[in-house]
Amino acid sequence: MDPFLTSRVVTDILGGLTNGVTYGLLALSLVLIWRSTGILNFAQGAMPMFATYLGFALLSYHFGYWPCVVACVIAALIIGGLTERLLVRRLYGKPEINPIVVMVGFLIVLEAVAAAIWSSTPRSLPSPFSSIHWQLAGKPFALSPFTVYEIVTALVVMLAVAALFRFTNLGLQLRASALAPEVSRLLGVRVGRLLTLGWMLSTAVGVITAILVSANFFSGLTPTVMDGIFAYGFIAAAIGGLESPVGAITAGVVLGVVNQFVIDFVNQNAVIIIALGILVVSLMVRPSGVFTKSSQRRV
Amino acid sequence: MRLIAVRFRVPIAIAIAIAIAIAIAVTVLAIVAAANVRQGIALSIAFDLAVACVVVMSVPGLKASHPVVSRAALTLLGLDIAIFLTYFFSSSTNFNLATGAAMSIVLLGLSFLTGASGQISLGNGAFMGVGAFAMAIWANHHSSTPIVLTLLIAVMCGALVGLLLGLPATRLRGPYLAGMTFAFAVAFTFILSSFSSWTGGDSGLQLPTAAIAPRWLDGFFQAGTSPLKTTTLYITDVAIVVAGVAFFFMANLFASRTGRSMRLIRDNDVAAELVGVSLPRTRVVAFIVSSAYAALGGALLTLIDNSVSPQTYSFALSVTILSLIVIGGIGTISGALIGGVIYAFSTNFISWITTQTGLNPQGNLASQLNGIIFGGLLIVTMLFAPFGITGAARLLWHRLRTRSAR
Repeated sequence: MDPFLTSRVVTDILGGLTNGVTYGLLALSLVLIWRSTGILNFAQGAMPMFATYLGFALLSYHFGYWPCVVACVIAALIIGGLTERLLVRRLYGKPEINPIVVMVGFLIVLEAVAAAIWSSTPRSLPSPFSSIHWQLAGKPFALSPFTVYEIVTALVVMLAVAALFRFTNLGLQLRASALAPEVSRLLGVRVGRLLTLGWMLSTAVGVITAILVSANFFSGLTPTVMDGIFAYGFIAAAIGGLESPVGAITAGVVLGVVNQFVIDFVNQNAVIIIALGILVVSLMVRPSGVFTKSSQRRV
Repeated sequence: MRLIAVRFRVPIAIAIAIAIAIAIAVTVLAIVAAANVRQGIALSIAFDLAVACVVVMSVPGLKASHPVVSRAALTLLGLDIAIFLTYFFSSSTNFNLATGAAMSIVLLGLSFLTGASGQISLGNGAFMGVGAFAMAIWANHHSSTPIVLTLLIAVMCGALVGLLLGLPATRLRGPYLAGMTFAFAVAFTFILSSFSSWTGGDSGLQLPTAAIAPRWLDGFFQAGTSPLKTTTLYITDVAIVVAGVAFFFMANLFASRTGRSMRLIRDNDVAAELVGVSLPRTRVVAFIVSSAYAALGGALLTLIDNSVSPQTYSFALSVTILSLIVIGGIGTISGALIGGVIYAFSTNFISWITTQTGLNPQGNLASQLNGIIFGGLLIVTMLFAPFGITGAARLLWHRLRTRSAR
């Protein structure tokens, strides 16, 4: 058939796209929290990881994949809400290092508790679709049914979040309470409740990432499965601008593709180093992110 | 009720005379009591130094007129007591103390960064690794270089990497420095394995020769009969002295013009800019100092362990560093000291908990206890006592004083 579709470049782009959407999703969830509460959530990988463990605990009661996914999302909503109510709420208006330190602590506790309960040996999750790559004229094609499922799910979630913010009353309230909490409060918006909702939403977006990532045939679900994704997600969010959801997603996808090229043409070890280099350079050139309009700082 | 303060105003000449008399008496006693002349001399030096330091520190008004002298005396007194005590500790305690001393240098750097610029680094474990590997690589290629010079080279490497990363991140507001240093900490192990021909890959590096005391100091470190004990004692005292020097420099830096402008930036960056403090430059300097201190601590750790392994310098180490300084008191000097002491005995403490609670030492929970305890303490401290043990102690002291004054 068409040799172009199985060529090295196309394979890399499509493979990178598959990873890139997970980075983009995590970056999106980071941006959601940053925009609403001004906190860079270092536990943004660990909270979904924990929810995934909880949700897939249903496997031992002979539930299938889809009920487990629903359970994961519910667990994520609960974890996100509880975290905001019990931990984060005490940190508003504190110096900026306080939330960073607390969320790093939370990350460590969650990973340690997960490893204590479920051990750190990888656990393989069932997958609704086959991860065996399609063949084109005897050559392996970059996509498999599972990777298509991954990309489609990520796109659906991204579009759903966009639609929520743009077209619904709730989205308007969420945006309003992030931009001008005082004014929104005066106009009758329950800002506190919406901040909780923002964290729940963001953890739910995160858990979709975690489910997709840990169904990966090679890694499986481990307490540290999200560490790498979080690192790339953060790098993507910082490059795209922590203020810009579209920027974060785009940067995530591009980063995924770049990483795939680095794996293919350099080596595995160089990936994070080059990603770090891109971050350094992009912060030097465009300090507030490639996709944000720079704004004046108010004193 | 107000406590009645009585201030003795003994003329300085009489004070010095008394001090000299005490010193002579101590010297004679020490030489008589000690097993041999060498030990006697060592003991008398220790005691005399302590007396001298106390005398210098008790000169009225010295702290205001000559703060550097006052700090030097305090440092010397601390070093003197610490080194004296190491003679009575077991080798394993000394080894722990040496590690704690190396760690306290790293903590001091992070404390300074946060106390000075209000930003935080999650990559100090990696900067430690830069120093540790720089030390080992240099020592393996140029084994004739004196230790002090190798330590300095390691520090310069740390400062250089700090400059490279700090330059973009410190210009930004927000959590970018934390995020960037986090990425660096995650990337560091991969960087090490990318240069495995230099760093020795997964197995790391050994130092070509163990650190032994120079000949003129030899006799002073023969505390026990075993050579291992002698080496440990020597390396512990070296670590303590290096830490003492690092603390002395940092205390002066905190109080200097640079230190003051840094605190101004932390408290109000707009005001700082208005009075002419260059924000980016001061922040970058703070970050470089912090990285250099981390590298010094790492290099010292290599010297203590006599080897370096890449697994040590994972992201987990950066988190441990963060926990220790938060628990000790971030932004303070004494917080770094407290954190170092906690680190020195944390392994013992956790295995003590494991045995006390009857956990299976090979079980999941026991192996994760470190993370659960340190992570939990990190959260609890930051929520309820943001300035850690030092802050809590200061608050308590302040309350006691105001109560007694009322």
